[in-house]
Amino acid sequence: MSGIALPVGLISEGKRRRRWPVLVVFAIAWLSLMLGIALLADVIAPYAYTALDLRNRLAPPGATMLHPLGTDELGRDVLSRLIFSIRMSLLIAFGATIIGALIGTSLGVLAAHFRGLVEQVVLALVDFSASLPFLILALAVLAFFGNSLTLFICLLGLHAWERYARIARGLVISAGAQGYAAAVRQLGASPWRVYGRHVLPNIASTLIVSMTLAFPEIILLESGLSFLGLGVQPPETSLGSMVGYGREYLTRAPWILLSPAAVIVLTTFSVSVLGDWLRDRLDPTLS
Amino acid sequence: MTGTPLLEATGLTRRYAMRRGLFGRPVEVRAVDGVSLSLEQGRTLGLVGESGCGKSTTGRLVLGLERPDAGSVAFEGRPMPGPGTPAWRALRARMQMVFQDPLGALDRRMTIGAQVAEPLEIHGIGDRDGRVARLLGDVGLRPDQAGRYPHELSGGQRQRAVLARALATDPAVLVCDEPISALDVSIQAQVMNLLVELQARLGTAILFVSHDLRAVRQVSHRVAVMYLGRIVEEGEPDAVLHDPAHPYAQALVSAIPHPGRRQRRILLQGDPPNPADRPSGCAFHPRCPAAVALCAREDPVLKPRPGDGRHVACHVAQGDAPAPSDGRSAARRGGPDRPAEAMRAA
Amino acid sequence: MLRFFGFRLLRAAITIVMVVSFAFVVLRLSGDPAQIIMGADAPPEAIAAFRRAWGLEEPLWLQYFHYFGAILSGDLGRSMRDGRDAIALVVERIPATLALTVPALLIKLGLGIPAGITAALHRNSFIDRAVMMLAVAGFTVPSFVLGLLLVLVFAVQLGWLPSGGQESWRHAILPIVTMGVGGAAVLARFTRSAMLEVLGQPYIRTASAKGVPWRAVVWGHALPNAAIPTVTIIGFMVGSLIAGAVVVESVFSWPGVGRLLVVAVANRDLAVVQCILLLVAATMVTANLVVDLLYGALDPRLRQRTA
Repeated sequence: MSGIALPVGLISEGKRRRRWPVLVVFAIAWLSLMLGIALLADVIAPYAYTALDLRNRLAPPGATMLHPLGTDELGRDVLSRLIFSIRMSLLIAFGATIIGALIGTSLGVLAAHFRGLVEQVVLALVDFSASLPFLILALAVLAFFGNSLTLFICLLGLHAWERYARIARGLVISAGAQGYAAAVRQLGASPWRVYGRHVLPNIASTLIVSMTLAFPEIILLESGLSFLGLGVQPPETSLGSMVGYGREYLTRAPWILLSPAAVIVLTTFSVSVLGDWLRDRLDPTLS
Repeated sequence: MTGTPLLEATGLTRRYAMRRGLFGRPVEVRAVDGVSLSLEQGRTLGLVGESGCGKSTTGRLVLGLERPDAGSVAFEGRPMPGPGTPAWRALRARMQMVFQDPLGALDRRMTIGAQVAEPLEIHGIGDRDGRVARLLGDVGLRPDQAGRYPHELSGGQRQRAVLARALATDPAVLVCDEPISALDVSIQAQVMNLLVELQARLGTAILFVSHDLRAVRQVSHRVAVMYLGRIVEEGEPDAVLHDPAHPYAQALVSAIPHPGRRQRRILLQGDPPNPADRPSGCAFHPRCPAAVALCAREDPVLKPRPGDGRHVACHVAQGDAPAPSDGRSAARRGGPDRPAEAMRAA
Repeated sequence: MLRFFGFRLLRAAITIVMVVSFAFVVLRLSGDPAQIIMGADAPPEAIAAFRRAWGLEEPLWLQYFHYFGAILSGDLGRSMRDGRDAIALVVERIPATLALTVPALLIKLGLGIPAGITAALHRNSFIDRAVMMLAVAGFTVPSFVLGLLLVLVFAVQLGWLPSGGQESWRHAILPIVTMGVGGAAVLARFTRSAMLEVLGQPYIRTASAKGVPWRAVVWGHALPNAAIPTVTIIGFMVGSLIAGAVVVESVFSWPGVGRLLVVAVANRDLAVVQCILLLVAATMVTANLVVDLLYGALDPRLRQRTA
């Protein structure tokens, strides 16, 4: 019976593998391209993102060899602005994802370690942030505190922290109740050793999968806020602010917003595909 | 054969607040209710009882992994420091635990060698490589298995690895919490023999917690039977096994299958005990075939029985109450008139 | 059931208190509230009166209580732009927003749930794959990009529909479609996975194995059970009816609560922002309460446990 079942399983496995990689390979290739562009922005951008070319204003793509993706109403090169926007958006998304994971995981671990009052406070905070749409909360904070890049990254870092907190708390409690963490603790290990050497490495794969799920959401949030003019402020530029800016010229020069819009969509799509794929492979328990 | 008491636990009580349902009123559950025991160097105390009777919690209290709500533990005459304190952590080198589920107790991301070396790192003990190699040899693992991961070993080998880790710091006390119940029967005997052999060599005091009376008898010098958080009978393993005094112990013993010997099994009546709803008087009386009116009223205390001095907490076995005359009672079978010495000689 | 309801009510109250406290703390941290609420160019005697009215000379904990009292009595300050009462300003925008979000919610439910169920029932079929592709696209295309694309096609290129404003019902079509399509994709994805989870349960296999017709299995067993997790996400959508249109209203220059919020944030009109924050929190918490009660109706286990 198992002799028959096994090859069938292998075939369907093979089929899955053949179907997935097309998208996954594309996703990885696209993300590598984006990462390369972000790292090498200074080298590959043909112009500075603030450089004006007043003779070629609102030039469509391909109209002049100087500006392959065209120019905006001030004659700034769309390709160069796109390159620096990619760098800015990725920087914000990476920074915010890491901050969120750090805050959420720490609070989740603290809640699981101390239980009692600490845990109740953390859970109340989780309830609080889950009960408000994050966009509204973010807008409120921006209204109260004004805007700066650091604040903006930290603010976006608060997105999804409660997810890491919930996951980390659950995993740490189950590891500590019985099993390796309890075993190491009773060997006389300090909490640092228990969490640093044993618990965190064991729950890392689940947390990394959660990060790949939060990353595209943060890109969307950043671009949404920047689109509204409340995120990245000029002269800095990000994908969302390019779209928001280009919207004024939607009828006359749609190319200003089409290329950053396409980059946003392809990047979030790639990270989602990669995240789903990682989740299936690493952690079938996450839904 | 008697050593000096190495660890002494007096009147250990551990209560938990349990909620019924999601938002129910919390109910106090006494997992452990006034347990006293002592461990001596080179000797093993077996602790038996059905699941939920508090024997594992007792093991954790004895090690100081949890703080008792009442009672105290003294190790080498000094009180147990609170869990998590530096003094408590340092003391871990002297007392260790072996777990029921060896796969769960090992970190699946680290090699066996690294995990056996970990207590040495924690307590700053040198010559790690040499000690790890010797420990692995002691528990019957090959030196090359130090580089393996837990999932690459069999269940028995994993439990040997857990044992090697527990013995790494040369502990004076070892608590084994159901160390063999997750293993195949053929492996169980090997691991128990290993325990006995290592104890003879190292002089470790062992608290062996199990629901398996036969396993307990094989390794223990004394055995204590627990029911609903209390010790109801304590004595020499052979004596308890051949001549149980407490009706609950009798039921446990009669449940052991004996090849070739047909023996009347005592089937316990009533529901299994619910620690949240402890019966009045003797907690066992609703299921006890020998129960009399006194049992529902008065809590029996654990004290030496007149005659052979066996510790037992039962009005009937102590002779404080007359046995019921319907003949179902086995409580007085081989009572005070039958010397336990005869059994031990057998 | 009563205790269950009481517990939920308590949690809802705690959440509201936390939102109010959040607004209080943030307001104190961000500068002099008198200046901020009243506006920098307010006459000094008005600021002094405000300070007295809000008790800004009192110790912080007393201020906190007074702040609560003011909010309970419906005093959320005045807009610094035109000096109007913040609540009135926000409330008069609500109908415009509901005119978009309610039809959009109907589209989400009407498209998303059937699509998710169909995809789950025909797993790995062409329909399933098409629905999933659309769902992923719906998630990865942000609403402002979708909205601008729709404007580009239907307003700029084809000229069928207006690109923005609020003059007639035709102005509402593009924003409603923009919101509805994106939300439908999310809901379809969620419904599908909830359905698949339920369909994999032993009781479904048992029901179909003992000869219950498949239609009856789906309608009688699978759908009610899959509805339980789906209700949560619908509750979230209902909860964001008031302020779920921030981005779309901005794209289409629709004068609703979301647009008001964006303008208020840009102008740091804190009284208005705070008012919207509390309004959203109250809606959200109420929706969550309703969801919890619906849970009770949908899940008999919960009823029994708390009876």
